[in-house]
Amino acid sequence: MMLRKQIAIHALLILISVVMLTPIYWVVKTSVTGENLFSYPPTIIPRDPNLFYYVEAWYTVSFVRLFSNSLVIATLVVVVNLLLNAMAGYALTKQFRGKALVLSFLLMSMMIPFHATIIPAYLLTAKLGLLDSKLGIALPALSHIVCILLFKSNFEAVPSSLVQAARLDGLSEWQILTRIMMPLSKPAVATNIILSFIWSWNEFLWPLIVVRSPDQQTMPLGLVSFLASFEDTTGSLYAFCVLVVLPSMLVFLLAQKDFIRGLTSGATKG
Amino acid sequence: MATVEFRNLVKRYGSVEVVHGINLSINDGEFLVLVGPSGCGKSTSLRMLAGLEDVTAGEILIGEAEVNEVEPRDRDIAMVFQDYALYPHMSVYDNMAFSLLYRKTPKAEIRERVMETAEILGLTPLLDRRPKQLSGGQRQRVAMGRAIVRKPQVFLFDEPLSNLDAKLRASMRLEIKKLHRSLGVTTVYVTHDQIEAMTLADRVVVMNGGNIDQIGSPEEVYHAPRTLFVAGFIGSPTMNLLPARSNGNSTLSVAGQTLNVASRFTPPDEDRDLVFGIRPEDITLSAEDASGSEIEGLIDVVEALGPDTLVFVNVGEQHLIARVNPDIHPVTGQPVRLNFNIEKSHLFDARSGEALS
Repeated sequence: MMLRKQIAIHALLILISVVMLTPIYWVVKTSVTGENLFSYPPTIIPRDPNLFYYVEAWYTVSFVRLFSNSLVIATLVVVVNLLLNAMAGYALTKQFRGKALVLSFLLMSMMIPFHATIIPAYLLTAKLGLLDSKLGIALPALSHIVCILLFKSNFEAVPSSLVQAARLDGLSEWQILTRIMMPLSKPAVATNIILSFIWSWNEFLWPLIVVRSPDQQTMPLGLVSFLASFEDTTGSLYAFCVLVVLPSMLVFLLAQKDFIRGLTSGATKG
Repeated sequence: MATVEFRNLVKRYGSVEVVHGINLSINDGEFLVLVGPSGCGKSTSLRMLAGLEDVTAGEILIGEAEVNEVEPRDRDIAMVFQDYALYPHMSVYDNMAFSLLYRKTPKAEIRERVMETAEILGLTPLLDRRPKQLSGGQRQRVAMGRAIVRKPQVFLFDEPLSNLDAKLRASMRLEIKKLHRSLGVTTVYVTHDQIEAMTLADRVVVMNGGNIDQIGSPEEVYHAPRTLFVAGFIGSPTMNLLPARSNGNSTLSVAGQTLNVASRFTPPDEDRDLVFGIRPEDITLSAEDASGSEIEGLIDVVEALGPDTLVFVNVGEQHLIARVNPDIHPVTGQPVRLNFNIEKSHLFDARSGEALS
């Protein structure tokens, strides 16, 4: 009975995995063969795989520039996010007048979709003179409320006696945050890094609005201009797609263990 | 080392006052224990001394200096917490060295002090371990080590042994006592465990409802409790406390029987509610009335503890406990005469709770 149940569960899981992984596999397969979706007969195992299309994608667009732009912006976003979110999260573990108001304000802000604030955000960025700059692209992503709340709940799980001991040991609030709270909240740090990196890396709409010159284009923008400029490039297009997705996948895989703990922390006691 | 003084110390949370203007003066090198039930304000007072709680009113002095507005780290105190508060992401060595690191102590000196303290506490083989790889007793020792390396003016202990099992608690108690003797640092120790209070303290401060009920040596608070609360709190099993009335002729009416107390005290003449107190070990079981200091009862339960036997006796509606020689074998349900050692009995005013003897 148990065995049957196990088999059924595994069969279901395999089916779901196949459904999830097939498109990814298809993209990778096409990127090394160049066969488009309508080639006949369809094959599952790639025939004569090679890296030609990667080389083609690399040279047809200025890949290094797109990649370095995206990387600089994502790094900036990750670092500033960690800093601001941890500081805000730590502040929210304290008792102060108006704390409930601040919390509900943060929660309410989460309900507003970014697209609804895109015009004021644009005007603000323009006023700051940051249009068509890396800082301008990064600006709206420099803090994520979800991550603030994540830090808050992780910090609250740190026993208060540790904070008090640190205070007696002579640490300032900043040192308590960086030397005690952050090292003890690795899941929150990992989650913050992954989420802010992926969100920044994949962001399309905001860079599209802010960026004017090709010099400042990010990977997703590069993908669109690639699509618009070249015809009959199935293989290179898919190769380019793989290169766009690869870094965020890598970041996710590196921090995955702590990431899952971060998302489930607070769900159970201890 | 330093003296510590509380002057009219008050702590209020909103409209709730939890410490009501206490005065306390702690001598240089003294081991002082604050004891009392949960919520009596002992931990709050300690935390105010540490600087972890603001002082609502009054003054705290360490040495000659008022420290009300001084940051915890600048008070030159070290605290051992109930849950040890060890940094889980650091080794034992780093835990102990951590505070010195932030006090700009030279690396070589940090090493020397940590090694020296680890040697005293038997932690040398554990210095590379993380706290979660240690047993409860070892963690407790690391917590103490962390306090000792600082060489502070005052040690604060906040119920440090309450997470340990009974056997370990007894041995740690001994270690703390020895440590205090060798270091001689002024120590303030908070506990709700009266055995810790009695065994460790130079002086015991019994707190009740945000007030200090009595300050004295362990012997004083045990043998001469100043209030009903102290009498009921210190000692295990606790003192027998029986409602009493004065008969006006050096006798008391206790549990419907007459007790001659002339040798110990003269009960007040006026008719008011009194409480007669007697410790279990000051009661003996006897066969016949010899001195007029006896009352009759019925044995309810007998508990043989080994070194002595506890006998629970019902006297009318009152229940008494006697601690007797284990060679005596009282029988449950039998009538018995309780002989009180009147010289060691106590009399309290029932309304004010203050001792009259």
